[in-house]
Amino acid sequence: MSKRVFHHPPESETGRKYWRSLGQLENRPEFREWLEREFPQGAAEFKGGEVSRRNFLQLMGASAALAGLSLASCRRELKHLVPFTKGVEWSIPGKALFFATSMPTRRGAQPLVVATYDGRPTKVEGNPLHPAVKGASTTWAQSSILDLYDPDRSRDFLHMGEKSDEASFIKALEEILAKAGDGSGIAFLVERNASPTRERLRAEIEKKYPKVSWSVYEPAGGVAADAARVAFGEGMLTIPQIEKADVIMAVDSDFLGNAEGDVEGIRQFTARRKVDGPESRMNRLYVVESHYTVTGTMADHRLRVAASQTTAFLVALADQIGKATNDAILNGLVQAVHASNPFNAEWVKQSAADLIANKGRSLVLVGERQSVLAQVIGHAINAALGNLGKTVLGRREIAKPARKIEDLAADIEAKKVQTLFILGGNPVYNAPADLQWVKKQGLVPTVIRLGLHEDETTKSEETTDIESRPRVKWHVPVAHYLEAWGDGLASDGSYTSTQPMILPLYGGWSEVDLLAVIAGQKKPGGPELVQETFRAIAKPSDFTAEWSKFLHDGFLDKSAAKAEALTLNGSAVAQYSVKNAALPAIEDDKYEVIFATDNKLDDGRHANNGWLQELPDPITKQTWDNAALISPKLAKELAKNAGLEDPVGQYDRHMFVNKIEIQLSEKDGGGKISLPALISPGAADNSIRITLGYGRTVVGRVGRGMADGGTGFNAYPLRTTANSYFATGATVSVTEERYTVAVTQEHGTLEGRGADFTREANFEKYKVVAAAAEGSEEKEYFKKMGMDSHTPPNISLYGHPELTDPHQWAMTVDLNTCTGCSACMIACQSENNIPIVGKDQVLDNREMHWMRTDRYFASENDDMTDPEVVSQPLMCQHCEYAPCETVCPVNATVHSDDGVNVMAYNRCIGTRYCANNCPFKVRRFNFFDYNQRDVLGHKTGHPFSGLYKWNLLQDKGTAETLKMQKNPNVTVRMRGVMEKCTFCIQRIQEAKIAAKVHSRDSDAVPKVPANAFTSACAQVCPTSSITFGDKNNPDSDVSRVLKSERGYRLLEYLNVSPRVTYLARVRNPTRKCRTIRSSVPSSKTPVNPTRKPHRTEVTRNG
Amino acid sequence: MANIFPRGSNWLPIKLTIISSFVSIAIIAGVWYYFTPKYTRVGYQPSQPVPFPHDIHAGQLGMDCRYCHSFVEVAAHSNVPTTQVCMNCHSQVQKDNPKLKPVVESWQTGKPIEWVQIHKTPDFVYFNHSVHVNRGVSCVECHGKVNEMPVVYHAKSHSMKWCLECHREPELHLRPVDQVTNLDWTAPQNAGESPEDAQLRVGLAIKAKEHVTPPDKNCFGCHR
Repeated sequence: MSKRVFHHPPESETGRKYWRSLGQLENRPEFREWLEREFPQGAAEFKGGEVSRRNFLQLMGASAALAGLSLASCRRELKHLVPFTKGVEWSIPGKALFFATSMPTRRGAQPLVVATYDGRPTKVEGNPLHPAVKGASTTWAQSSILDLYDPDRSRDFLHMGEKSDEASFIKALEEILAKAGDGSGIAFLVERNASPTRERLRAEIEKKYPKVSWSVYEPAGGVAADAARVAFGEGMLTIPQIEKADVIMAVDSDFLGNAEGDVEGIRQFTARRKVDGPESRMNRLYVVESHYTVTGTMADHRLRVAASQTTAFLVALADQIGKATNDAILNGLVQAVHASNPFNAEWVKQSAADLIANKGRSLVLVGERQSVLAQVIGHAINAALGNLGKTVLGRREIAKPARKIEDLAADIEAKKVQTLFILGGNPVYNAPADLQWVKKQGLVPTVIRLGLHEDETTKSEETTDIESRPRVKWHVPVAHYLEAWGDGLASDGSYTSTQPMILPLYGGWSEVDLLAVIAGQKKPGGPELVQETFRAIAKPSDFTAEWSKFLHDGFLDKSAAKAEALTLNGSAVAQYSVKNAALPAIEDDKYEVIFATDNKLDDGRHANNGWLQELPDPITKQTWDNAALISPKLAKELAKNAGLEDPVGQYDRHMFVNKIEIQLSEKDGGGKISLPALISPGAADNSIRITLGYGRTVVGRVGRGMADGGTGFNAYPLRTTANSYFATGATVSVTEERYTVAVTQEHGTLEGRGADFTREANFEKYKVVAAAAEGSEEKEYFKKMGMDSHTPPNISLYGHPELTDPHQWAMTVDLNTCTGCSACMIACQSENNIPIVGKDQVLDNREMHWMRTDRYFASENDDMTDPEVVSQPLMCQHCEYAPCETVCPVNATVHSDDGVNVMAYNRCIGTRYCANNCPFKVRRFNFFDYNQRDVLGHKTGHPFSGLYKWNLLQDKGTAETLKMQKNPNVTVRMRGVMEKCTFCIQRIQEAKIAAKVHSRDSDAVPKVPANAFTSACAQVCPTSSITFGDKNNPDSDVSRVLKSERGYRLLEYLNVSPRVTYLARVRNPTRKCRTIRSSVPSSKTPVNPTRKPHRTEVTRNG
Repeated sequence: MANIFPRGSNWLPIKLTIISSFVSIAIIAGVWYYFTPKYTRVGYQPSQPVPFPHDIHAGQLGMDCRYCHSFVEVAAHSNVPTTQVCMNCHSQVQKDNPKLKPVVESWQTGKPIEWVQIHKTPDFVYFNHSVHVNRGVSCVECHGKVNEMPVVYHAKSHSMKWCLECHREPELHLRPVDQVTNLDWTAPQNAGESPEDAQLRVGLAIKAKEHVTPPDKNCFGCHR
């Protein structure tokens, strides 16, 4: 018998490597520390300023003695049971009720189902009946429940900044409207929202006051509608049919990410990635982008191209396709737009050839925030490829065209606006800098604002000597979508309902309430407004029945929009291209700055959401801040210029990085910003990316961040109308100032196991494996990779747990469809009462997320300029031979008979042995009472405030409303106990109890039906990468997926026998393109055609 | 020779005596309180805002428990009746009884009656009524003979050991599901059979027939 090596052997020095950070790639000492310790140095120490550990023990002793003296008073407090006076229909105390609704977003309504307990909404899920989402939802849908209970929400009607009331507001509004005349002095500034009721009320207002002006502003809305209008005529929108496309080329389009993606598109894409058997037809994704996005991580071939050069790339692509297809419009376009072609010609040629070979089954997507010209070229390419009507369909826009914020600003300048209604949005914070919106808003005599927060638009920043000053005459608190009646159109155009789960907590008005009052109606007390729209749209024969069905289902059946034929308007395209032929030039010594929407905060609207602030970014893994993302090459270049040893953007062991200063050129407005830099592998060399939404000044306690500084840096002052997406010609300098960045990429690092943890192969190889005979060595290809290829059979010293239950729970995670979007992390946080801990605590690796998404870069030979990416969600693996169970001195963690590694909090004494012994580092410890205390700690500004404050008796600082969000079926954990993923045990128990109740008085064995429920992470997953269920039940999804030959379990050679199975990633590069996978992003990088594109065989260690 | 011990040490025995007596009193008090049924609240009998006599309603009148505790079979929580349920009868019966004044007031004002909670599990225990009453565990097993209580008191210990006794040997407590709310039920005895043996025989039969397998080692059965 060969000798068993328990230590993981070092990774080979050459060949393909998997790494999470540059520190890991270079094996820096600070990385070794993350690796070797459960928590970093100092994380387990008490850091209360002057309160040392010794003082702490003295105080503890004293308080224990006092507790002894007061023993006699230790009576349980008198508690009351308070029933309703009158029974409430449907309501059963302690039992969840589910209501369908939909969340309004700028990309349409998101169909949802909300769980409420005794009238208190606690959890948001996707609507399983809706065909477009099938029960899936997104990060932002999940986190919206926290916005409802946000203690910093606007609570009062404000008149000139002073507290007022609803009646005075209505009176003032009536006075304004009485003098409105034909409405010529009235203007509206609204957010984009697909609500038919809002459209209807807008029409009513315009009928009553024909001269009102209606402007829509979305800081990150893009110009997709404008481009579609040029290419296909007035009022047309394009709807990509991603599922039908075999080859997809995403040009700076993050269609799988939060910014531009919707659940429907993501589902369609991943449906073609669930390879299952040799006959599977997998799609191929080409991505052209400047920085890694969620979409880029899924690419089979990726080309780094600066955002400013994207149009030039499209021209190069159009040139190839135009020549091959003899398409007159495309050839005309290429001639009109003269673009230098600095790209890897081979890459462009091969990818164009692939698109042409798949005519009618290919799809070119151009980012919505790219210029109209770029998107028009994209439409023309799709037309030339014969994709119109096949992979691209059309749809009529229902919203009437609106004016832009620039037009409104000009009107205000010309003193044409007397009354301005700002409904939602936050223009003072996010309007283009050249409009100088604060001044514009000040010029309007009456500004009426409907807002969720008292933010920058409502009042100015608080200063020390002067109270904050109002910026609007009236501020009206808005009702959250979970408190209001409304409607919307989902991504497939179907008509969805929005119904309130709870009465407005602070008496807010919804947008349609206010519009109705302006239109001369009374403020509705119920669904009257939506009912009227429903009558017009559904034309019900039996109103009561059809209306209840509409509310019950959450959408109107068969109301999805009809596809319209698309024909490319050749002459309009030609005209447009001639007029707008000038492209941004490449300047070799200048840099491009991209203003991107944030994966978490979007355009800044989610800045006061603690779950989102603390969620590590899918790519950078940064929390609580934004940074300037720079390429490794630029990092070295800047360091050389500044005379620094380490590259700029490389943090030290205390997570400090240098700030850089970015100066825009005069033509771009000349803005300047100073912010920390972070190295972002895979970025185009001279491209700097800054995400928007940070650096808010008038915001709640979460957005304000820690006592010693806010969250992130505001890039809006740099953005102007002309450079809303990117600015070229910026100069960069490194400053001496240092800043801490809470980047979690090295948290939970596992020794040299990246290649073992995430397994991949090419599609060709997969087909061979899938076709291999059962039991053959080939069939075991994915199971026998890495260490598992040569370990002898496993024998355990410990007895196997008795798994006597008929149900055996198991989970699978498909790495081939996982985009790393991290919606599962937020769903888990929402379901399992997981607290946020604040930036300081994240720096100490004390974040409490039960599951994390590990993002691995993969590259050959230490190359960091252009790696590939694999994302891997990692939660408790529920090992059958669980290492944590054997070391617990108090049996707080044991194995259940249905195969779950259980954790009894009330038994845990907090030794943390289990976390030390966990090979996956998935256990989290409550170093503080995060759930009870004000983790952000700026209540008093005292160094002991927040978590460190000595506080036995007083209120500990958590807002009452936040307690309302908690799931009543999950214990809220206290300080000093360990916690971890429970496989959503509350859902398991609920299902088991339901089965037992169901089998009342019968002979049947109580059995949970297949797929009767699922865990929170599996339920939210927009790609259905995660499946959960009973592996003993042959009908369950999980037992079906477990049969896949791509399945493997982690650290099999340790013999821990996990209950979570991962499905290997499959990449689908073309054979021809193999040698050209990585290529030139700009004129600065030399071509390296000899690089091997992909690991075709596994490196076998030992 | 100088003194080895300082002068202050003369007081040491006295100090030690006083301190140790305090410590031992604390220990005795602690054990007295926490290790006896007093801590588990057996016998706790608070007075309620309305002196509702369970013995009359459930005993003499023979009303079923589920008339008032109507969701006990479907929910984890066994609900306390709404004022409306009281008024179903008391708008006709005894409507002028002064003891019913709080009920009538509640009905008129819409303000709920605040009943004092007697049985309480800790926050980390997730007890589910429905799974017990649908599987042949009677109300009486945990709440005692409520049909004989003029004022309800805490009858059983509700400690974890007590829970596990039943979870490990459910046959000693099971009865046919239709007898769950019949608090006076005892297992029918065969000739010459003791009551205990009769219960064991009936309990074992139900356990086998209905596959009763309460979680006995699985912490997550009650703690989540």
